[in-house]
Amino acid sequence: MAAPLPEVQLATAAPPPLPSLVNARQLRAQRLGRALRLWVPAGIIILILAMCFLLPLVTTLPSSTNGNIIYNNEAPFSPGHWLGTNVQGVDIFSQLVYGGQVAFEVAVSVTAIGIVIGGTLGVVAGYFGGWVDAVLSRVLDVLIAFPALVLALVIAEGLGPSEIHTIWALSVFGIPAVGRITRGATLTIRGLPYMTAARLAGTRSWRMIARHILPNIMPIIVTFSLLGIGVVIILEGALDFLGYGIPAPTASWGNMIANGQQILSAQPEYVLIPSIALLITVASLNMLGDALRERWGTQ
Amino acid sequence: MTDALLQVDDLRVTFPVGGREVRAVDGVSFTVEPGQTLAIIGESGSGKTVCCRAIMGLLPAGTAIRGSARLRGSELLGLSDAELRRHRGSDVAMVFQDPARSLNPTMRAGVQVAEAITTHRKVSKREASTQAVELLRLVRIPAAERRFHEYPHQLSGGMRQRVMIAIALACRPKLLIADEATTALDVTTQAQIMELLLDLQKELDMALIMISHDLGLAASYADEVVVMYAGKIVEQAPATQLFGAGGAVRMRYTRALLDAIPHLDRPAHTQLPIVGGRPPDPTALPPGCSFAPRCQYAEDDCRAKMPTLAEHTPSHRWACWHPCEEGGAA
Amino acid sequence: MALVQQIQLQTGGSGARDGARRITGSPALRTIGRRLLAAIPVLIGVTFLTFAVMSTLPNTTAQAILGLNATPSAVRALNQSLGLNQPFLERYWHWLVNVLHGNLGTSIEGASVNHELAIHVPTTLGLLLYALVVSVVLAIIVATLAARRPNGIADRISLAVSMLGLSTAPYAFAFLLIIIFAVKLQWFPVLSGPVNSPASFFRNLTLPAASIGFGLFAIYTRLLRADLVEQMQREDYIVTAKAKGVAPWRVLIRHALRNSMFNLITVIGLNLGGLVGAAAIIETIFQVQGIGNDLLTGISNHDEPLVEGIVLVFALVTVLGNLLADLAYAVLDPRIRYGSSTS
Repeated sequence: MAAPLPEVQLATAAPPPLPSLVNARQLRAQRLGRALRLWVPAGIIILILAMCFLLPLVTTLPSSTNGNIIYNNEAPFSPGHWLGTNVQGVDIFSQLVYGGQVAFEVAVSVTAIGIVIGGTLGVVAGYFGGWVDAVLSRVLDVLIAFPALVLALVIAEGLGPSEIHTIWALSVFGIPAVGRITRGATLTIRGLPYMTAARLAGTRSWRMIARHILPNIMPIIVTFSLLGIGVVIILEGALDFLGYGIPAPTASWGNMIANGQQILSAQPEYVLIPSIALLITVASLNMLGDALRERWGTQ
Repeated sequence: MTDALLQVDDLRVTFPVGGREVRAVDGVSFTVEPGQTLAIIGESGSGKTVCCRAIMGLLPAGTAIRGSARLRGSELLGLSDAELRRHRGSDVAMVFQDPARSLNPTMRAGVQVAEAITTHRKVSKREASTQAVELLRLVRIPAAERRFHEYPHQLSGGMRQRVMIAIALACRPKLLIADEATTALDVTTQAQIMELLLDLQKELDMALIMISHDLGLAASYADEVVVMYAGKIVEQAPATQLFGAGGAVRMRYTRALLDAIPHLDRPAHTQLPIVGGRPPDPTALPPGCSFAPRCQYAEDDCRAKMPTLAEHTPSHRWACWHPCEEGGAA
Repeated sequence: MALVQQIQLQTGGSGARDGARRITGSPALRTIGRRLLAAIPVLIGVTFLTFAVMSTLPNTTAQAILGLNATPSAVRALNQSLGLNQPFLERYWHWLVNVLHGNLGTSIEGASVNHELAIHVPTTLGLLLYALVVSVVLAIIVATLAARRPNGIADRISLAVSMLGLSTAPYAFAFLLIIIFAVKLQWFPVLSGPVNSPASFFRNLTLPAASIGFGLFAIYTRLLRADLVEQMQREDYIVTAKAKGVAPWRVLIRHALRNSMFNLITVIGLNLGGLVGAAAIIETIFQVQGIGNDLLTGISNHDEPLVEGIVLVFALVTVLGNLLADLAYAVLDPRIRYGSSTS
């Protein structure tokens, strides 16, 4: 889709930590750098989430779907409209806020579904191996080869675009992505000597999974999910842009870009503002994922 | 001392690790004569490898190196990397411990040998390949022409090490450093490789520094032996003066190493006198003798003051306040 | 090389084909054969699912053709003649049989699907190749420069730029490019015209390729840089090369880079499937006449045969991509190609 499979992004490991051939001063600088790389993106994400979900509860924002055509094309910082209004008079800032809500709702839902279903499939396939693995891997292969784009478009075409349908469609992509990662991680852990020892000692399967495998694949799942949320936000934006995701007039970042397309040359800000919102959000998620991976060691 | 091939004077190597300073090599001096075989013996962490890598310039950036290392009179330390590269591989060469990991797995063996040639000499690729095959024969690899085209994983451990030696010998260096070159091999292959190295030494009039933790190897093959502990030399003498009949080991550490070697004529079922304790933490060396915490014979002056390395008997140096008795045979 | 194992683990594995000629060792041949067999159920699965999904939706194809004013009986008649009221399984079977004979059916517009694809696939292929080649070449250059001095200036810049590339949506980036290069600088057209000459190829496809390529470049650069740095710091054969007296640049390129290429090829292969999807959106924005564009029009027209045909192509590409990733090892990695032998 719009971005390649997240597992690939995972494979592009964060820069490996250099051997600590540093003196005390450099060591402090290194530690500071590491802390900044973790907390600055985390802070940005928290800010964005607060803006999208808490702000509307605290203040009343102008409607994100309807606007008064009299007030169209207002410039940013006009009274009552922090970022101005678009061609139909809809407040841009509101659109950003509610669009952000939608983006996160969809992305987190898809990721959650992916983890629950895909994670289970992956762990089962990786742990039990044999024909179970063969069958499940085939299923995952088919799901991955399936162009999620097509599914999303077809569903939207037939049943009408909506948030729920978008979530279903993107889950078809999310489940096998998570599935592959968890399967790989499970295989790695399963091969470790202490697992063989535990098995020989007669530990029961579900116990092995719960106590040994799950805690150890948690870090991977968390970092992967952060990257995945970013990817899904972009994908969802793509669907909205094509008109097959969140239906207009509900605000979404993709819709905003699509609407701004017509007047791109005259007033590029209608496309630029949601694009920048996308960029900051996804970049922060990526950087946070990187920083966590750095903290928890590669893998 | 005259015309020495390699002269190392008060070499000191320090790493800043995690904010602290590690004195990996703490004032080491020795000489290597042309054609001589010098063995540097020590545990892991004694500084033996770091010492030689410092001479070759293979230590990571950020390492502080002080002192002097002169190869045929010209100073090696302090040279820029570009200048040092001219010596590396041509005048001084090194063979490493694990041939499985020391050869590039995706390059054919012969090509890796040829690269050693073309790095220093301007010859055509074909000429380099021919010379490479010759080198493979020199290190006694059967069917050298065929082996030239093979990949490292297709060769046995012993053959891989021979390839490494061929690479090192490509430009007929005057000094070869073998860093635990036989540690990763089985005993039979070990003997073969050592024999090969010695024969090549004679054939090419080459000096050899063998780094090892194996005293037995030193005893069998070395002319001169240097024993290192915690970054310092603790004993140094010609092999004949240390081992065998009439040999005398003086420093307690060397004595302990020797005693720990199992002998056939030892009474059965008795415990081996191993050296207790663990190697010292290089960031927290005790004052006084570094070996004192593990030495049975340590006294108060040992713990208080660092023993100096001095030539107490002709050509035999040691650093110990309470050395073994004269005649304490090996 | 830990990355290598990681990716290998994740290759579910599917598909196989050309390149088998170059393989001399039989273990490699058997692996390829197995992958080939595994690919078939995947292709069937994907096309079956697509059919299923399209069929469960209210079938308004005939309606779409005849327009809103069509009478119900006319719609029914058209349904009949198009065979659209047969049970779905039967239709799938017919379609499958046709495909195996090389016939992908007829699109609603009347043209044969084969024909449509034949015209449009090359355009999309050209676009993707353009994006791929340029991003790979640039990635190799930048990653090598960055790895030469880790944490140096070149490295920091490359990390920043690739983080940007990783985080931008291709469709948003496309508009940025349009604003700067098509509108303000007027170097390229906003919408793509027909591509029938090298000049028109570059004129029309550069901006679309750049939109797709930026993200690719970011991924490849990060991957290569990490792999190169890891090798230079942790691998013993790098020390051997340095001990030989080889200059640092040569060590980086002749020894480290060569080993990193496997990883890179694997990742490129795994990406291929997602790439065609990304291309679809970009094609729409720039009006490039490729199969991505076709797909979108086909879906809005309920053009089942066309959509099926394109989906088949997409699935084939994904499968081939996975195969390429596997092949990178079987054919190129001498450890697998030659197996191990002892003296």
